Amino acid sequence: MKNSAEIVIIGGGISGCSIAYNLAKKGVKNIVVIEKNYICSGSTGRCGAGVRMQWGTEMNCKIAKKSIEFFENANEILEYKRDVEFKQSGYLLVADTDKEVEQFKKNIEVQHACGIPSRMLTLQEAKEIVPYLNTDILKGAAFCEKDGFLNPFKTTDAFYQAAKRLGVEFYTFTEVTDIKVDHGKVIGVETNKGNISTNIVVNATNGWSKQLCEMVGVDVPVYSERHQIMVTEPVEPLQGPMVMSFGLNFYIQQSLDGSFIGGRGDANEPRDLRMTSSWHFLEEMAKTIDLVLPTISKLRVIRQWAGLYNMTPDKQPIYDKADNVEGYYIAIGYSGHGFMFGPITGVVMSEMILGEEPTIDVSMLNLNRFKTGKLLLEPSVV
Amino acid sequence: MRIEEHPILDFKRGKKIKFTFNGQEAEGYEGETIAAALHAAGVKVLGKSLFLHRPRGFYCAIGNCSSCLMVVDGVPNVKTCVTDLQEGMEVETQVGKGVII
Repeated sequence: MKNSAEIVIIGGGISGCSIAYNLAKKGVKNIVVIEKNYICSGSTGRCGAGVRMQWGTEMNCKIAKKSIEFFENANEILEYKRDVEFKQSGYLLVADTDKEVEQFKKNIEVQHACGIPSRMLTLQEAKEIVPYLNTDILKGAAFCEKDGFLNPFKTTDAFYQAAKRLGVEFYTFTEVTDIKVDHGKVIGVETNKGNISTNIVVNATNGWSKQLCEMVGVDVPVYSERHQIMVTEPVEPLQGPMVMSFGLNFYIQQSLDGSFIGGRGDANEPRDLRMTSSWHFLEEMAKTIDLVLPTISKLRVIRQWAGLYNMTPDKQPIYDKADNVEGYYIAIGYSGHGFMFGPITGVVMSEMILGEEPTIDVSMLNLNRFKTGKLLLEPSVV
Repeated sequence: MRIEEHPILDFKRGKKIKFTFNGQEAEGYEGETIAAALHAAGVKVLGKSLFLHRPRGFYCAIGNCSSCLMVVDGVPNVKTCVTDLQEGMEVETQVGKGVII
């Protein structure tokens, strides 16, 4: 292990790998990524794999749009010999209340201002896209055909391989035990495998970010919430888009191998970083799918798992540097969409660290916004 | 082939029942599984592997390996080694991953 580095990034998910890649591409030497488990072992590898532009805040829309443009060319940009398996089969959002239909309309106005090709659908049109959709219980739908899904493991691997080729060093199965600060300045990182002196640390640990911020006395208003996912037996292609509903609380898509992957959230989850599976989730998920998509409720569930959403009060990420600790950067709090924002996380954080002109102005995603209380709440999160 | 005598298990054979395998009439006994009846009838190939289309047959016999997945009464991916045979069942070789509508 090196004993000094220019920049130490903590967290080996999509965010950490993307930040490392972008910094290295801009010519920074001596970058280290520390991951307490293996690459993609945290929230990235546990996510639902969907990527969408149908958001309700301008900031989320802009970041999502740029990210999807990146995914369209990810194999070429990252010179990846395998395939990140990006498939743009759309996101079909369905609403079971008039209130949510109104929200869709408001969201679409924001999306159109950002150049996102989303549109409202009649229930008949929605049924043409997903014939077994139970429209009897629905009030409206929205669709964006450029949304889709891609393989989180291969996408992260693509960033990881590209970063490695540019000289980034990755230390896996290495846990950060402390971050050393002297006179309000980061001076190093201590791990269970040795110490590294550095003046710049990036916290890209999402689910575990609060604990890492506590090490340096930076207060972040985030908490981690367990979200669970199930996967069914594979069948022949049946469903094009991801079907999702905020009110009904679920999302489900058919992956390339034919299995259906779906999940839901539960606001009553204990906030204790647990990632175990529960029977309660399966029961609620089964009920919802049986109600909304009765045909696929015949499928047998073969496995379930859990991961952490890192929630912020406005459900938008925090991209910032700490006020009170020089050299401490945070890219956390994705509230369930860290994977799909990954490419842009790397771009904006590398620009912030190097003091460059930003590609997207993310200054409103600063840490201090929670103190003023003037928050623009993202309404559309499962 | 059927096991007639077993040192531990007791095979109580029920009445003879009819079913179809790929449209052809076949016979088995109440109380045995679909795969057991097919095995006794000399059917060795229960399906094909997904990618290389190699023959797949009776293997683990306890519902774990997915080697015996077939279409039963129109439902794909049925584990025939742990599903009881019933009068009039339509059992078919499954092509691909299965179609649910």
